[in-house]
Amino acid sequence: MPVKPIVLAILTAATLSWSGYRFYRLLRPVFHSPWENRFDHMPRRLWGIVTNIGFHQRLFKIKYSGLLHLMIFSGFVILFTGIVQAFGEGFFPGFSLAPIGGHTWIALVQDLFDVIVMAGLAMAAFNRYVLRPARFKGSNERDATIILLLIFAVVFDMLMQNTFRVAAGGDPSASWRPVSSTLAGFFGVFGLHGAAAKPVAEVFYWTHVAAILAFLAYIPTSKHLHIFVGIPNVLFRDLSPKGVLAKADLSKTPIGLKDVEQLGWKQKLDLYACTECGRCQAVCPAYAAGQPLSPKLLIMDLRDALLDEEGIGGHVKHANGNGHRELLGATIQDATLWSCTTCRACMEVCPLHIEHVPKIVDMRRQLVEQGRMEPKLQDTLASLAQYGNSFNQSERMRAKWTKDLGFVIKDARKEPVDVLWFVGDFASYDPRVQRHTQAVARVLQEAKVDFGILYEGEHNSGNDVRRVGEEGLFEMLAQHNVDTLAKCRFRRIMTTDPHSLNALGQEYRALGADYRVMHYTQLLLELINSGRLRLAGPIGGVATYHDPCYLGRYNDGFDAPRQVLNKLTVRLHEMARCRENSFCCGAGGGRIWMDDKGIKERPSENRIREALALGDADYFVVACPKDVVMYTAAVQSLGVEDKIEVKDIVELVEMALDPHLVAVR
Amino acid sequence: MGTVLVYVETSDGKIAPITFELLGAARKLGGEVEALLAGDADASQLGGADTVIRVEHPALTPYVPEAHVAVLAEAIRQRKPQAVLVGNTSVGIDLAAGAAAATDMPLVSYCVGLDAEGGAVVGHSQLYGGKIIATTKTDVPAIFAVVAGSFPEAPGKSGGKRQQVSMAAPASLGSLRTRFVSASAPSGEGVDITKAEKLVSVGRGIGGPENLELAEELAKALGAEVGASRPVCDSGWLPKARQVGKSGMTVKPKLYFAVGISGAPEHLEGMRDADLIVAVNSDGNAPIFKVAHYGTTCDLFDLLPALTERLKAKAG
Amino acid sequence: MHIAVVLKQVPDLVEELEIDSGGKDIDRSFVKMKLNEFDDHALEQAILLKESSGARVTAVAVAADGIDQVLYAAKARGADAAMKVDAGEEVLDSRRASSALAGAIKQLAPDLVLVGVQAADDLFGQTGPFLAAALGWPHVSVVSGVELAGEAGSKVRVHQEYAGGRMAILEVDPPVVIGVQAAPQPPRYVPVTRLRQAMASGPIESSSATAAAAESGVAVVAVSKPEAGKGAEMISGSATDVAEKIAALLGERGLVRG
Repeated sequence: MPVKPIVLAILTAATLSWSGYRFYRLLRPVFHSPWENRFDHMPRRLWGIVTNIGFHQRLFKIKYSGLLHLMIFSGFVILFTGIVQAFGEGFFPGFSLAPIGGHTWIALVQDLFDVIVMAGLAMAAFNRYVLRPARFKGSNERDATIILLLIFAVVFDMLMQNTFRVAAGGDPSASWRPVSSTLAGFFGVFGLHGAAAKPVAEVFYWTHVAAILAFLAYIPTSKHLHIFVGIPNVLFRDLSPKGVLAKADLSKTPIGLKDVEQLGWKQKLDLYACTECGRCQAVCPAYAAGQPLSPKLLIMDLRDALLDEEGIGGHVKHANGNGHRELLGATIQDATLWSCTTCRACMEVCPLHIEHVPKIVDMRRQLVEQGRMEPKLQDTLASLAQYGNSFNQSERMRAKWTKDLGFVIKDARKEPVDVLWFVGDFASYDPRVQRHTQAVARVLQEAKVDFGILYEGEHNSGNDVRRVGEEGLFEMLAQHNVDTLAKCRFRRIMTTDPHSLNALGQEYRALGADYRVMHYTQLLLELINSGRLRLAGPIGGVATYHDPCYLGRYNDGFDAPRQVLNKLTVRLHEMARCRENSFCCGAGGGRIWMDDKGIKERPSENRIREALALGDADYFVVACPKDVVMYTAAVQSLGVEDKIEVKDIVELVEMALDPHLVAVR
Repeated sequence: MGTVLVYVETSDGKIAPITFELLGAARKLGGEVEALLAGDADASQLGGADTVIRVEHPALTPYVPEAHVAVLAEAIRQRKPQAVLVGNTSVGIDLAAGAAAATDMPLVSYCVGLDAEGGAVVGHSQLYGGKIIATTKTDVPAIFAVVAGSFPEAPGKSGGKRQQVSMAAPASLGSLRTRFVSASAPSGEGVDITKAEKLVSVGRGIGGPENLELAEELAKALGAEVGASRPVCDSGWLPKARQVGKSGMTVKPKLYFAVGISGAPEHLEGMRDADLIVAVNSDGNAPIFKVAHYGTTCDLFDLLPALTERLKAKAG
Repeated sequence: MHIAVVLKQVPDLVEELEIDSGGKDIDRSFVKMKLNEFDDHALEQAILLKESSGARVTAVAVAADGIDQVLYAAKARGADAAMKVDAGEEVLDSRRASSALAGAIKQLAPDLVLVGVQAADDLFGQTGPFLAAALGWPHVSVVSGVELAGEAGSKVRVHQEYAGGRMAILEVDPPVVIGVQAAPQPPRYVPVTRLRQAMASGPIESSSATAAAAESGVAVVAVSKPEAGKGAEMISGSATDVAEKIAALLGERGLVRG
């Protein structure tokens, strides 16, 4: 019995059992988790693997990183043959991939991809140590370095092994290994050929094998775990409608996420999948504002907490000896959770489809249950419970804005209407938005739309209440609206607020509601296209348009507002962060009900600066009442009222309807 | 009207302004005016009183409500006044109801006006945060708690006979269950709004702390300090040291610019003596407009930036 | 330590108040009621004491329309028990309510009674002092902080507020009635789930009582709404116009340059 297979067997067995044990410990909590059904729509799921992993669709949003990843990734696939070969010949002397081309084309691609992977590694190292993009801040650099070195070792040792095998002579694949052959020629100059090269090849054989085993042993607690978890994580990604949050079971205690062990199996898989690439951090409005939230660090902290509880902390920051520590207020700070605007930019950009927002909301639920929130939010929730609006105002004042219109809007509770207009809190109560609400009413009237409102029968839609984590109150508000709407006769619903659009269109389905819900920008477009709104003339000017998160990212309402602007003959100059990459104004997820403490640069001001940098935008066009409030304040606080004007899209429409206004302009 | 007894409110050994208002009101009601001075203070200042009834006892200074209720009740029993006037202040809230219960007399609170009408007193009381005025008719003897700022001080400073009598402290002062421990002056936290010449004061109408900036900008343009109403401080939007009103500071600036303040009586008490009061409030019926010299229902979110701009433009 | 918190509802001032046809009261059929905000602070103070010292808290209220909801909310906030006192009348002034409550509170035998310092409608005096008088206990009002001192809370320390932001610390031997102006922190929010749990925990205990006869010799003759803007000269127009006018009148008085 030769020594080589025995030594290899012992090494492999030792590594596999150690690594296997660690994998078992990692996977154990995943298999002991609440059930999440992620086995539906399998063809769509599988296609997602092709686009997301095969084509690197999201990774290529950053071209340099996408390319270097593709180089290393494809190398991994190819070089797997090298691993099969190494272990095959180690255990079974004489094993060869020759029958399937091991001496011909496989040898060739191995040789080429050795170089491609090493080039990818060089690019990665350059990125990480020279370019140092900010998104890496907080990532585990030591881990990244170890991984880069291990990959380098695997690839380099393989190349060297092949080089010296060629140098030793008699390698049947020599003519198919251009890189190895060239290097062999180079080493030959130093006398390393023939019999002298043979032991060197053997040394590199063992270092190659050792590097592979080291990699395997190291991986379970490394961010490189994604090579195993990435594919299932993309496969089992969330395919439910984007605007629907998972329901909280209010009959169980604790409500919400109190302990990392409570996470569902896919939620835990998310934690293992994270590569710490920081793309989420780079797009997060809270992080940009200097608030204590980075979606990346949140996932890392949750992962570390899970590893900690499993007692396999590889790089645990919070270990306290007994492996158990409060999740909320310790591992994850309250302020971190309250910073989130639920804008979904992180989830949209994550190459591995990690679900950050549902976890944040679930932890908020527990904070709400414990009453851990700032006074202003507390006031607002109390107001919502008491009056059905966030303004601490009487229900009867909801339709006060209709008073000076000069015509009476139908009460949709009393007579049937074509369009039932769900106005929303900000559009109804906020004096800064009311004038736009009145403009919408005038435009609908002008177009002879048969529309009505619910007057004091309308309550806050609950969209952001749900995202704040007050599930019970959400249910209460939603049920009230569903009950009210059940008594009304209408063909479709129009909302001013994208947040209401999301709630009525997506969230209320769980309550058995099935409405045709549209945003006012969609109705405006319809009215213009059908000629019911006659535009008096072009307005001209240059506009940039801000996609509201809950209209765009959540409800794919990207096009209607742009087409309206196009009809108005306003030239649209897009900001770099537009459509699904839009940058949140900072108001979502209940943030508008919390104070600005700790914010270094308001997201809304960051955004206005972006618009100003376009150089030629006269209008900053918005299509969400909260944006009106946020950006008007931002423009004032930056003191740039003379440079850019925040306009609700309906203002521009109304302007275009009136020949006098067009003229004045 | 027979005898009217006024409870003398003191603060740090000084006679509080409300006392002179009460003495004035008592003189207006007619009859003999008696002032009950429990504890240390300069009785000679009580020029509006015909008789000052002095009660001295170690338990009376510093102020402890239990002791003062006992003395007031005792004085009512001994002097048998037709009307008893107490400030509807922190101290009055402590005393009036207790004395009324102890002497089984009717009590009318939140009085902003009192008139003798035969054997009765017709009063006006501000209820529901000033949104409703109740007119009451009360047979005397009765106790009235009068809101500060309802009567002028001057008539209460002179015209009395200025006699002094002593009254023995009731025995119960020897066995009180309440003891004074310590006192503290308002914590400054760097600002003293009572010294400010101009104040921009914000109320709940500002909406939320994120809008405070609007008021701060205006204050900067005016060279003013920022004050606030109680709800704003209770919500933690601004520190307590900036609170104007009954449980906060009493201010008399040259300009008081009230933003989103409806004007609860407790607030008005602390600022009604400002030289010029300008109020911005969306509700035209808000009580703040009763004390303001100028008012507007213009939307504060528009007006504040506009005014700030206007003032900056002027300065520059 | 056992703390009783006295709660009541008052008309919500967010709503417009109307006068009823008799002209002597507000129109209560139209009014929306909510927990008196000072009572809300009293309850918060009680819960804080419970959290810091393990005190038992009982919420007490005179039975009225909607009071169950208030008491359930108190339980959801952390009150251990709740009791409504049925005096057979819906509208009681604070003095008569105190007389009805005194009996029930005597039976509860708390060490501490916390009640909101005042309410927007207590025309005939505040609940706290009346209650103290009926119970024969001392009373301290306008309190913005209660602490237990001495052994097992044998003494109660309160922060009493006076005009001008002055403050004193007083020490009282319980039992005592305290009129709370503000709790050290804003009243906490009660999640709807908690409220539902409290409501599912069974009906509110009820006891009956009789309120003292109405005060003789004092009568409300009429109620009225103050005239709008009486006193102030109202400035109207667009924001720019109003700003211009205000700037001008400040200028005239030398309050700003220009």
